Parts: sequence; C-alpha cells; structure tokens
Amino acid sequence: MLENNIVDQRTSRLKSRSFLKGLLAVMPLTIAVIPWGILAGSLALEAGLTAVQSQAMSAIIFAGSAQLVALGMIKAGVGLGSILITTLLITSRHLLYAMAMRSHISPLPLKWRLGLGFLLTDELFAIANHSHNNSNNNAAKQKQHKFDRWYALGGGLTFYLGWNMATFMGIIAGQSIDNLNELGLDFAIAATFIALVVPTVKKPSILVCVLVSLTLAVICAIFSIQAGLLIASISGMVAGVVYARLTGEGRQLARELPSEDNS
Amino acid sequence: MTWIIILSMATLVFVSRYLLLEPKLPLKLSDKTLTFLSYSAPAVLTAILAPIVFAPEGHLDISFNNSYLVCGVVATLLAYFTRNTLLATVLSIGLFFIIF
Repeated sequence: MLENNIVDQRTSRLKSRSFLKGLLAVMPLTIAVIPWGILAGSLALEAGLTAVQSQAMSAIIFAGSAQLVALGMIKAGVGLGSILITTLLITSRHLLYAMAMRSHISPLPLKWRLGLGFLLTDELFAIANHSHNNSNNNAAKQKQHKFDRWYALGGGLTFYLGWNMATFMGIIAGQSIDNLNELGLDFAIAATFIALVVPTVKKPSILVCVLVSLTLAVICAIFSIQAGLLIASISGMVAGVVYARLTGEGRQLARELPSEDNS
Repeated sequence: MTWIIILSMATLVFVSRYLLLEPKLPLKLSDKTLTFLSYSAPAVLTAILAPIVFAPEGHLDISFNNSYLVCGVVATLLAYFTRNTLLATVLSIGLFFIIF
C-alpha cells in the first residue's frame, strides 16, 4: 500500500517534470507568436467578426496562418468555397506532421490522440523534433526512447494558451487602438516562418521549391492576384518534385521520409 | 455565415491533424503523395512570408529602407548559421522592433 503510494508519487512527479520541460521548450516560440496573435485578434474585428467570433477562431481553429489568410479573404468578400480550398492547402502540411508522429501517437488512448492531434502545430512539431535532434550522436538510443506524451502536452497546451491570450489582447487593443496593423506585427509571422523553412532546405529540390514559391507569391502580391497563395505554393511543390525527379534525387528522398507503418 | 466559415475551417484543420494519427485508418499514403507533401511546408510557409518581406506596402521594395527585408535577411542568416529556430525568430523580431 505504502509502496504503491510512493511509486504513484514518483510517476506523477516525472509526469509534471516532463510537462514543465515541454512548457519551457515552447516558451520562446510562444513569445514570438504574441505579436502574431494580437494581429489575428485585431484583424478579425476589422474583418467584421464579433469579439466572440474572433476569440472562437483562435480557440477552435487554432491555426495562425490559416486564420490570418482567411481573415484577409473574409475582408475582401471572398466566398466560402475559396476560403476552404485555401485552408485545405495551408493545412495540408499537418498531414505530413501527423504521418511523422504516427508511430508515437497512434498507439495512445483516444483522448490523448484527440488532444495531441488538436494541438499539433508547426511549433509543437518543431519542439518534438528538436528534442530528437539534440543528441544526434546517439541516434540509435533515441529511437528506442519512448515518446513523451506529457512533454508534448506541456508544449502544446502552453502554446495554445499563449496564442489565445495574445488573440484576446488583440481583440481588446483592436477596440481601442486604430491601425494596429501598421505597427509591423506581421513581421513576427515572417520571422517565425523563415526560421521554420530554412532548416528544411536540405536538398537542392527544396531550394527550387522555395525559390519558385517565393517569386510567384511576390509577383501575385504585387498584382493583387487573390489566388496568389494557391498558385505560388502549388507551383513550388510541383517544381520541387519535378526537379527531384529530373536529377534523380527522388530515390534518396523515399528512404528519408517517415514510413511509420510498424504495426 | 461567419460561424459557418469558422466551424468548417476548424473541421478541415482538425481532420488534417488527426487523420493520420488514427490507428484504424487503413489508408496508406503512397510514396508519391508523401514526396509531394514533403514540399508542402516549405512551399506554403514561403508563399505566406514572401509578400510580407518583399512587398510590405503592396509594391516591390528591395532597399535598405525596407525593415522587413533587412530583418528577413538577418533571420535567414541566423537560421542558416546557428540552425536554431528559436534564436533566429526572437533575435530578428527584436531587431525589427528596434529599427522599424
């Protein structure tokens, strides 16, 4: 009885330690997302959403880039169909994140799968991967390491709360301060995405993909082409795939991709 | 209408995150699909960030007066040489708010 208690206490202490580790790991990214969240809150009001709807966007969609792009489209009076197609494209990268984490998360109980699935953002994926990459020298050992659900939950929940608090600040500020969008808050988006994209450029084909997407996105923006995001990103993806196939890079790629079907 | 947009977007986003975490899902993505998808994060993120950096006022602005571009280049160099996502993000945002 007493022994059981001690074991219980020890595991719960380990759980809260993992949770805290995740919280700390995601903290800098949570701070970086504050200007971005403020922007999401104030832009939502500007696009004609009520305060409740603005907060609900962050609380139930919880996808910064999709939210901001959709708000721009709502403001421009674009229809539901186009908004959903664009959302689908922006959110499609999560399929790959989920694929990469499938072997860790899919054996967990339903409530963990739903919870961690809901919290799976670029940032959570970045810290979950970061902890793996930290000890490259004993990569074999790392593979045997069990995925730490409490670490992921700590990181994911912290980021969720930070995003929603920042949105709330934006809603409050947006009601009293005009022209919040002229303060340069959108640079936070650019900086975060640059820092996420640069490490993924490990192959020439990804560089091609990035350069094509960049050029077309800028051209479309200059000429105010609504579908710019779709055009630029799909062209970038196709250019990358074609370049890889032409140069024979594809065969290497297949081995590096997460093929997580261990069951 | 706004609620319909919010709820349908939330559904799409959640399905894209959860779908491949579902163990009962028999569907397996082919290698070709996976290869294509591996380009989606860099392509989509770049397509969102590029207009912010190169045309913050809606027209092309490649000059030292464009703080977005200057700090974007700083962020790129920091991310490339330090390989540290957090450092690159926080330092370049800090610099931006100093010079903007």
